[in-house]
Amino acid sequence: MGVDLSIEVFGIQFKNPIVLASGPAGFGFELQPYLDFSKIGAITLKTITVKAREGNPPPRLVDAYGGVINSIGLQNPGIKGFITDIVPELNKLNTIKIGSIAGFNLEEWQLLVEEMDKIKEIPLIELNLSCPNIKGKRRWAEDVKLTQEVVKTARELTNKPIIVKLAPDVTDIIEIAKAAAEAGADGLTIGNGIQGMRINVETGLPVLKLKTGGLGGPAIKPITLARVFKTSEVLDIPIIGIGGIMNWQDALEYAMAGASLLGIGTAVMVDPKSPTTILSGIEAFLKRKKIERFRDIIGIAHRGGFSVS
Amino acid sequence: MIEAELKKKRISGDYGFFIFKLQEEIENPDAGQFVMLKAPDEPILAKPFSIYSYKNRELVLFIKRVGRLTGRIFSSPIGEIFYVRGPHGNPYVSSIDLTKRYILVGGGSGISPLNFFSELHPELTYTKLYGFKEGHIRKLFNENEQKHLVIEEETGHTVVDVLNELTSEEVGIIACGPIPMLKNLPKNAYVSLEAVMGCGVGTCKSCAVKTIEGVKLVCKDGPLFKKEEITWEWI
Repeated sequence: MGVDLSIEVFGIQFKNPIVLASGPAGFGFELQPYLDFSKIGAITLKTITVKAREGNPPPRLVDAYGGVINSIGLQNPGIKGFITDIVPELNKLNTIKIGSIAGFNLEEWQLLVEEMDKIKEIPLIELNLSCPNIKGKRRWAEDVKLTQEVVKTARELTNKPIIVKLAPDVTDIIEIAKAAAEAGADGLTIGNGIQGMRINVETGLPVLKLKTGGLGGPAIKPITLARVFKTSEVLDIPIIGIGGIMNWQDALEYAMAGASLLGIGTAVMVDPKSPTTILSGIEAFLKRKKIERFRDIIGIAHRGGFSVS
Repeated sequence: MIEAELKKKRISGDYGFFIFKLQEEIENPDAGQFVMLKAPDEPILAKPFSIYSYKNRELVLFIKRVGRLTGRIFSSPIGEIFYVRGPHGNPYVSSIDLTKRYILVGGGSGISPLNFFSELHPELTYTKLYGFKEGHIRKLFNENEQKHLVIEEETGHTVVDVLNELTSEEVGIIACGPIPMLKNLPKNAYVSLEAVMGCGVGTCKSCAVKTIEGVKLVCKDGPLFKKEEITWEWI
């Protein structure tokens, strides 16, 4: 029996639900020797800002034993550099490319959406409203009104599907998710790194130069998983579930909680082959359970689980 | 990732040699390149280790105990299975002036890639200086290697002091070790940088280093840089 791993969301057919999360996979090129991109559903590219950014000074990453805290700081070539240097190379990656952008004010969001709208290699746009690593800036996704403003602005400027990347560590993610959906978002990414830090006890100083960063990896999985579950309970909008997917069981938990697509971040850093390993695990599980289509298990935790026969 | 079985270890204080037998070959590693090594049951990142020596699937690492992963390696029983991938990074020979011979200056675990360099490229090696603070390190090295050791505790001199007496225009310098040591080197030195890495292949942007040509990555653009290229205040 073959298993159908494909899934259609945002009007786009994904060959399977595995998405490389924005950040750890960069623009994907360096991973090509290790990962067969034709075997994964999509890659969300590194977030692009209007101006090129060199990112934060090192150290920018520290292990948190159960997770990884990073404060890269959106290092990227800026929208111009992206269009000139990266976009012409994107056809080398034989998978769906999701463009990720972050503005610092509404005008910047506008410009970024307009530019992304023109890039034919990029059929979907993710608005990164939740990067935890920008010094002195509040995250857009901490505020209902700001979220709405950005999504509305973007909606008016493009017909491409818009996915909004939310912060998991906000007072009420459902309120913000609803605001994004009402403003015209086609989908949500839940979530992003949760703010965290480590202190070196010998020096008495924070390990990261920026002091705090975004904690990702297994440590945050129960937290983001609950956000995915709760949001999908009240909103009928496709969700990319992200946060600590390290193996096929983690991935399935997100699908069962209601995520249509499954984002892999930290695991790609540990082992660049992990997305395909995770996919094989999902496939084997579905075969064992005699489930023909991956999409049938999405949200099953809301529907009483598997029926006992 | 490739299974790497711990076959032998020799430890003195916080330093040790660890020999792993790999299940598969890693592809033609050259000096300066590194492997990413992961412990079996830890849900944490793999970490970069320079290659001290490699032949027929036998990987030798010279490691300083600094954190959880290295602590785990030190305390692991023989037969423990770790995982490696690589080699990552660029060989030194792709960055240096090949018409020169080099004094190889190491500090602590920074001696690793330099040892591999002298093994693979004896024609490019002028001499080696291996700097350590404490004398107990001597027992880890054989008779031939003793003459390369510069032990601060014994002579009061650092490896850079000894280098300054040796150096001349004709010979180059390749150095690997702690940042304060690298900063004290003469101008023309090549420095092999260590950095906290996430992926080791250039995607995650963790191991950033600021240079006169902008931000570069130790894993993808390095690990070897010219000393003058580096904006040291940024590190």
